[in-house]
Order: sequence, then C-alpha cells, then structure tokens
Amino acid sequence: MELQSYRAEDLFEWVTGERQDFTLLDVRNNEEFGRFKVEGPHLSKMINIPYMEFIEKEDESVARVQVAKEESIRIVCAKEGSAKYVGEILVKNGWQDVRYLTEGIKSWGNMLAPKLVASGSGYELYQYIRPGKASCSYGLIYEDQMAVFDPSRNTRFYQNFANEHGARIIKTFETHLQADYISGSRQIFFDSGARIVAHKNDFKDATFEYKSLKDQEVFKFSKGGPEIQAIHTPGHTPGSTCYLIDDRYLVAGDTVFILSIGRPDLGGMAEDWSKLLFHTLKTKIAGLDDDLLIMPGHYIEWSEANPQQLFVDTLGSIRNKNADIYGIAEEGEFVRFIKDNMRKQPDEYAQIRKVNAGLLEVDDEDQEIMDLGKNECAASMHGK
Amino acid sequence: MSDEISVAKVMDLKGLACPMPVVKVSKGIKEVQVGEVIQAVTSDPGALSDFPAWARTSGNEIIKTETEGKETTFYIKRLA
Repeated sequence: MELQSYRAEDLFEWVTGERQDFTLLDVRNNEEFGRFKVEGPHLSKMINIPYMEFIEKEDESVARVQVAKEESIRIVCAKEGSAKYVGEILVKNGWQDVRYLTEGIKSWGNMLAPKLVASGSGYELYQYIRPGKASCSYGLIYEDQMAVFDPSRNTRFYQNFANEHGARIIKTFETHLQADYISGSRQIFFDSGARIVAHKNDFKDATFEYKSLKDQEVFKFSKGGPEIQAIHTPGHTPGSTCYLIDDRYLVAGDTVFILSIGRPDLGGMAEDWSKLLFHTLKTKIAGLDDDLLIMPGHYIEWSEANPQQLFVDTLGSIRNKNADIYGIAEEGEFVRFIKDNMRKQPDEYAQIRKVNAGLLEVDDEDQEIMDLGKNECAASMHGK
Repeated sequence: MSDEISVAKVMDLKGLACPMPVVKVSKGIKEVQVGEVIQAVTSDPGALSDFPAWARTSGNEIIKTETEGKETTFYIKRLA
C-alpha cells in the first residue's frame, strides 16, 4: 500500500468515536512531545520516535516501531513533512496501512469539533470542542443570527459554520480576558462587524471597541428567541462573566468546570482574586439551580465527557463531584486550598493576554506558536 | 562572536521546512572532519528545538546558536 494522508478531523473521529485499532506514532522531538500531545478517550497506543532518529539511525528506529506490519499506523509531526518522511520509510519497510497527518500537529491544535447540545426550542446550541487545547467555545443560532461565546483564533471555522446554518455572526461574547489561547473575537469583528461583548474589569485597557456589559444585562436576538443574560462572576479574573441562555444553559467560562474550578492565581494576585472567587461561588453560583446545564470553557481530561462525548454536566452533579471545593465554608480555608494547588503558569500566558487586549500585535506564525498546547486553567489537577 | 569560530562549511538552509534542514545538516556534517565546525542558517522555527534534538541523537555538539528575527544560525562541531 502507498503512503496516505489523514486530517485532524479524521483523527478526532478515531480517538473519540467508535474504537479504532491503530498506533499513533508521534515523530516530533521528545521535548515537543512532552509539552503537548494528542489526547482522546479511545487513543490506546501512542509512541514517540523523533524523526531525527529515523534520519540518523534508520534501521534501529524502524526496529523500535513494535507494531505488526498489517496493523495501522498514523503518524503525527509538527507540520507534515517529517511525518511524510517517516511514513515513506515505514511503507518501504513493509507496513501496509500508514498515514501521515496533513498540516501537522498545529492542525490538530486548531481543530474544532462541533457537537449539538440542544435543539428543539426554536434555537440550536453547539459546543465546539478544541481537543488540542482542551477548551470549548459555544454557538447559539436563532433564525438567521448566531452568537459565539469565547471563539478561538480559527475564525474561518465559525464563519463557515454560520454560513452552513444560514446564519451570520452578530455578536461574540467573551467570558474573560483569556490567557491560555488567542481569542478570535477581534478577527470576527473585522470580518463581519459582529460586536464584542465583555466585562470592563478585564478589558478596560483593550485597544479595540467592545460593548461593556453590566451584571444581569440581557441580550436578545433581533427576532426574539432565547435570551442571554450576563452574570458577572469575578474570581478567575476580575471581569469573569457567565452567560445564562434561556434560563437553562450556562456558558461558564473558566468559573465552573466539570472537575475543579478556574484558578484565580493567574493574574499574580492569588489572595485577592481567591477572595473574589469565594464570594462568587457563595453568592452568584450558589444561587443557581441544580438543573442548570453547565457548559465549561475547559476540561482537564476526557473522563469528564458524558456518554455522547460532550463536556456538559448539571450544576447539581458538579456540586457533588467537587464537594471538596464547594463544601469549603470559610474564606481563609478557600484561599489556602487555592495556594496549596498553585503551580507555575506557562510563560506565554502574559503575552497571550496582551494579544487578546490588542496591546501586542504579532504575526500569524508567532500567534500559531503561542496558541499551541493544552490549557493550565484549573485550580486543581484531578488525578495527577 | 561568530568571527572567533573557524567554520569549515557554511550551509544555507533558509526556506526549507522540516525534515529537510535536519536531513541536510546530517549529510553536511559528514563532509567535514571530526573537530571541525559547520555553520547552518535556518528559517524554520522548528529548527530551534529540532537541531538540539538531532545533535543529541547524532552525537555532535552545537557550540553556538544565534537568533536574529526569523533566522537562526547554528554552529555545530562534528564529534561523531
């Protein structure tokens, strides 16, 4: 068999859908592999043999691929070329089903997988899973209008998605000033004029125009439909905001996760922001209904997904799963919990914040590099 | 300072994407004597971590790295 290619979307299907028997061979160097790798609930076999080892010691490296010749191998590299290079070597050595990832790990890093969360009440609500970042953005479509929540920089995806559904993007809602990925809201505004809605506590230094939301403010589509209510939930950042859709769904940003909560120490003011978060949990979040479906901005692990492989859960269930956090009754104890779980944040977060506020302009290639890799936003690392 | 390093061979690898910079430097280093240094100029951002990884694998030594804008110049001493 000749060497073939595959796309990030195929990989997503294989690692999340029906169980597929294949070995993922990552040929990036050990350091890059250690920093960021493909994850998925059904990814059972992954090996890392850097391509430079195939260049220097071909026979020895081929011998390290301990996969039967009739079994499938899917190769990943940084951009595409090295995976193709190694793929040719494997085909030459008799493997029959070898494919390389088109456009490399960055295409995996940017890929968004749309999942329908709700329909039937006259609107459609989608979760867009970004498996490379372990993050989720959301889309709400009513008639010919679409609102997007926390778009990532793969803005072409959202525009195409809107087009395919006969809608156009009218607004983007930011749950906070993101530190772990580059927001697509500004690009969407440039491309289609969709207004950015955000809280001034996070965006007051922003160099671009945005609609400064007020706590409890309600946003509507032109022709009615589901209401979107902003709920200011400071803590992860001072401007953190959740968006309540149709009183049933909560775009929770980095405030409530399925496991853990958003860490309040990323801004360098762990004590103050922890107190803000404690207050938010005890007032705003405590006042929300158990039946509310939480739609988080991140997940830590695939084990958090529901049987349909969506990252949603009811607030009641989340309170149970995280009883250790929600059960903390005292502010001082909460601050201690946060501090005990603190860990270093990636170096690029400070720069990403500046890019998202329009305070730093970087070219596309540098954005790509900055934006790649899994998030570090949860207050506790469950199971680690 | 680059002028203090005596370079036996210069390789212009600008514009090449992986795996080609490593493929070429792997061949190029074998064309100088053990102990001699080659200078390789790259523009692929991947080279920044791939060249050190290659040097470890091949048993050669990067004695100096200079980055200027998008270009990185490696001085690699043949040891193996």
